[in-house]
Amino acid sequence: MELHILEHRLKVASIAKESVPLFTYGLIKLAFLSSKTRCKFFSLTETPEDYTIIVDEEGFLELPSSEQLSVADATWLALNVVSGGGSFSSSQPIGVTKIAKSVIAPLADQNISVFMLSTYQTDFILVRERDLPFVTHTLAAEFTILRVVNGETVAADSLGITNGFVKPKMVQRPVIHPLSSPSNMFCVTSLDPDTLPTVATLLMDVMFYSNGVKEAVVSNEDCGHIRFFSFSLIEGYISLVMDVQTQQRFPNNLLFTSASGELWKMVRIGGQPLGFDECGIVAQISEPLAAADIPAYYISTFKFDHALVPEENIKGVINALKVSQAEKH
Amino acid sequence: MSGSKPDILWAPHQVDRFVVCDSELSLYQVEPAGSSELKAGSLRLSEDTAATLLSINSDTPYMKCVAWYLSYDPECLLAVGQANGRVVLTSLGQDPNSKFKDLIGKEFVPKHARQCNTLAWNPLDSNWLAAGLDKHRADFSVLIWDICSKYSPEATVPLEKVRLSAGDPEAGLVVTKPLYELGQNDACLSLCWLPRDQKLLLAGMHRNLAIFDLRNTSQKMFVNTKAVQGVMVDPHFHDRVASFYEGQVAIWDLRKFEKPVLTLTEQPKPLTKVAWCPTRTGLLATLTRDSDIIRLYDMQHTPTPIGDETEPTIIERSVQPCDNYIASFAWHPTSQNRMIVVTPNRVLSDFTVFERISLAWSPVTSLMWACGRHLYECTEEGRDPSLEKDIATRMRLRALSRYGLDTEQVWRNHVLAGNEDPQLKSLWYTLYFMKQYTEDLDPKAPGHKGSLVYAGIKTIVKSSLGMAEGGSRHSWSGASEKPSEGPSLSEERILALQLCGWISKGTDVDVGPFLNSLVQEGEWERAAAVALFNLDIRRAIQILNEGASSEKGDLNLNVVAMALSGYTDEKNSLWREMCSTLRLQLSDPYLCVMFAFLTSEPGCYDGVLYEKKVAVRDRVAFACKFLSDAQLNRYIEKLTNEMKEAGNLEGILLTGLTKDGVDLMESYVDRTGDVQTASYCMLQGSPLDVLKDERVQYWIENYRNLLDAWRFWHKRAEFDIHRSKLDPSSKPLAQVFVSCNFCGKSISYSCSAVPHQGRGFSQYGVSGSPTKSKVTSCPGCRKPLPRCALCLINMGTPVSSCP
Repeated sequence: MELHILEHRLKVASIAKESVPLFTYGLIKLAFLSSKTRCKFFSLTETPEDYTIIVDEEGFLELPSSEQLSVADATWLALNVVSGGGSFSSSQPIGVTKIAKSVIAPLADQNISVFMLSTYQTDFILVRERDLPFVTHTLAAEFTILRVVNGETVAADSLGITNGFVKPKMVQRPVIHPLSSPSNMFCVTSLDPDTLPTVATLLMDVMFYSNGVKEAVVSNEDCGHIRFFSFSLIEGYISLVMDVQTQQRFPNNLLFTSASGELWKMVRIGGQPLGFDECGIVAQISEPLAAADIPAYYISTFKFDHALVPEENIKGVINALKVSQAEKH
Repeated sequence: MSGSKPDILWAPHQVDRFVVCDSELSLYQVEPAGSSELKAGSLRLSEDTAATLLSINSDTPYMKCVAWYLSYDPECLLAVGQANGRVVLTSLGQDPNSKFKDLIGKEFVPKHARQCNTLAWNPLDSNWLAAGLDKHRADFSVLIWDICSKYSPEATVPLEKVRLSAGDPEAGLVVTKPLYELGQNDACLSLCWLPRDQKLLLAGMHRNLAIFDLRNTSQKMFVNTKAVQGVMVDPHFHDRVASFYEGQVAIWDLRKFEKPVLTLTEQPKPLTKVAWCPTRTGLLATLTRDSDIIRLYDMQHTPTPIGDETEPTIIERSVQPCDNYIASFAWHPTSQNRMIVVTPNRVLSDFTVFERISLAWSPVTSLMWACGRHLYECTEEGRDPSLEKDIATRMRLRALSRYGLDTEQVWRNHVLAGNEDPQLKSLWYTLYFMKQYTEDLDPKAPGHKGSLVYAGIKTIVKSSLGMAEGGSRHSWSGASEKPSEGPSLSEERILALQLCGWISKGTDVDVGPFLNSLVQEGEWERAAAVALFNLDIRRAIQILNEGASSEKGDLNLNVVAMALSGYTDEKNSLWREMCSTLRLQLSDPYLCVMFAFLTSEPGCYDGVLYEKKVAVRDRVAFACKFLSDAQLNRYIEKLTNEMKEAGNLEGILLTGLTKDGVDLMESYVDRTGDVQTASYCMLQGSPLDVLKDERVQYWIENYRNLLDAWRFWHKRAEFDIHRSKLDPSSKPLAQVFVSCNFCGKSISYSCSAVPHQGRGFSQYGVSGSPTKSKVTSCPGCRKPLPRCALCLINMGTPVSSCP
């Protein structure tokens, strides 16, 4: 297995819903006119609370500096696990589950805080730049660690930290934070970048303007329904997470879908905003899922974390996590 | 592609067909078209070709890539990779009952939709199709499909899960189970099967080039690089692969896959297509975005670099087939160097990349040039006489007949040269006489005339200037009248006459033997003239009579003899008057000069001296006999300059092998190119400083090169030996040494150094009797030389062999 340390230096920021008009110009440029910027990593996730933006330093310059923009203090680096070898047993669980044991748990054990971003194409594990030596040291046993420099992968320098690390005992990690599961079903999808212009207006509508309308409808019909939409454009690849209702607004055959047409339900983690310092949250969720071989997506936002699991597994997942939660008490 | 830029493909088998694909597939057929009007609907491709649209297929939207079925198919079976990752088989044929009926419309669907970047048919198993897709977090990016596979989604996926996939009415045509899945959680940007094995696949992945071996899919060989676009194996050289990234092309050698063996000069704009020419080895065509030229890189002479650092030379060219930007190009699969290009507005142009021509002269008179696969030889037709006259041909033949190598009977060299060039004859006789007289002269004799011999008559004559001029009278024999007057013959003049060949060795001034030899050779006129110049008019008449009566002789010689016998000394006689006018009508120059001599005023012999048709040696000899020192000197000077200017080898008699001689030879070589004669002549007897003349060295080196070029290795060696004999300074240094086992010094080398050490050999194992004395120990370190295996005596070299 290879662990690639990508060259993007990322900022994680949050924009309050009501302030978003201030930023739409920059956001639209980042999302739809990427050739006009030097940005290579951009992700925008809308939750009922806010817009979370993950963007590289080049892209961050496109956003006006404003008090409305809360930025997490650190610079983050994205890690990406590449299977490397050609092993092709297709029964392998996908996504976060796959890396739960090998990456997420060891980092949690070392008290390294992670920020997750799953996309259609892959999973990014964001760590603070200052934590990188600890990360590479922790993971060096399991992975070939490569750094991406100018688009080419090179062996990462040994960072020279060899002592002071005690392999901690495997501890049970009960789920600490409250969980909720909205009623809407989601799909994770992508589209051909060439066709992006044809749906740009629709996407803009979904991202910035469908808020009020939807809210009204939702609050009336289904109180379990939440507003959640994620768009990312990372190294030329587009990834979209949207609920089925939103998906239906797109023209047929335009969005990439899996042959099996799988749908996902969400588990939202956190009652209070989670902050950036607490460790082990992703591990708490992903470990039980990995144990049960349930594939999952995991998207961290500024305030809360979101896991997506296959709709048919949602009950089992909730139960398993509830059990874990119960163990705390 | 997808509506923006058209791509173009030649049919692999029906070589007159090609497909242009943008939002739809258009099949064209190429036809020859003259300069006349085109058929309706035809598109002009070039001056002599046009294309007719055969059919259009718009069944497959969202096309991303197209690949033509590699086996022979009459129906133009194509695989189309779509934006959603599906691969569809489609056809441009019109026959609804083709053998591919079952295949057409078949779809190969990946589990998760994403763009299909590339397709590659397996060249060995025509049913295998590899598709390279974009990244998906949980899916594979390289899928290898068997197009004859019968899997349908119903077999593997529960029906209710097919909700989101587009409605497929013909479910049997959808295949979801690939034969192989490779490259999980990665993106594949380009693909290429390796011709070495059916199961080797080279893929340009997201950040590396990987070779997948389907026999063992858990292993892959890969190299991290950015150059992952457009991987393509050189069809002529299966270990050579090209790939590119932005403006840079990297060439890889699969046997040494760690890094590119070379990268081509970076282009300012990103590349869009790179393709090896299928009909020409080592020719790579590249196209960049928004460009109207195709760049060609010729790696003809660089199959693989050997060491790490050898950067082979590449010849870069470019072609501009049309005035517009080029959207794509395609090499013709069989027609040599032919290419078709398509512009964004679908203007097509069919052309042939002109091959570089390389040209080579052979050392013998033929010319060859290579253009593509053709080799042209140009030789002159038939046996052209001018070819035989060519100096190179002649020199070759002369070299074969050992021309120049006869150092004893030097004159024979002109016979070896073919005995047809009077100048060469004169030259070799001159050299022969010079050699002869040098040998005869006692080097210790006073005056050192020996040093003068090779210096030529000019120097000899000069040296006699100012010496006492004793007059002596010559008397006519056989004529009552008093002869004309000539100066006495000094020693120098006799030497000069000897060099001219008139008189032979010794102090004897009799020309009898010379006359006899001339008569024997049938040179009656010349013999008569020489006899006359020696004031023996009777002998001259006798010779002419002899000539007239001989078999080949001219009866007119009798007439000449009659005329001659009427010689009178009287100034105003009729004879004299008639002779001086009629002599000009005589065709033979010697007969002419005879009468010129007889009718001339005393001391004024211009009629003889400046008769160009008379051999130089005869004129010089004549001058020596009849001119005063001052006149002679002037005459020789004048004649020498004339000879030098003309590059006439007869002049060597005058100049000798001196600087003057080199000047003369220079103009001879300039005139004829005959470095062979120049080399041999100069080696014959020139003093060292003349041999050192750079012109002489240049001729010699050129002649050696010429022999090498003709592959006359033995002749070259013979020449070198000959040269080292005549010019000791050119002797090659010793190339083989015997060295001591212990100190490694050369035994023979130390030998020569011994005298300086002041200690004799006898102290160091020189054994026994002086006749058998040998060095049996190394003179350098005093250690014994190896022993003989049989007698166990130390081997050694005889002392006498030491230089």
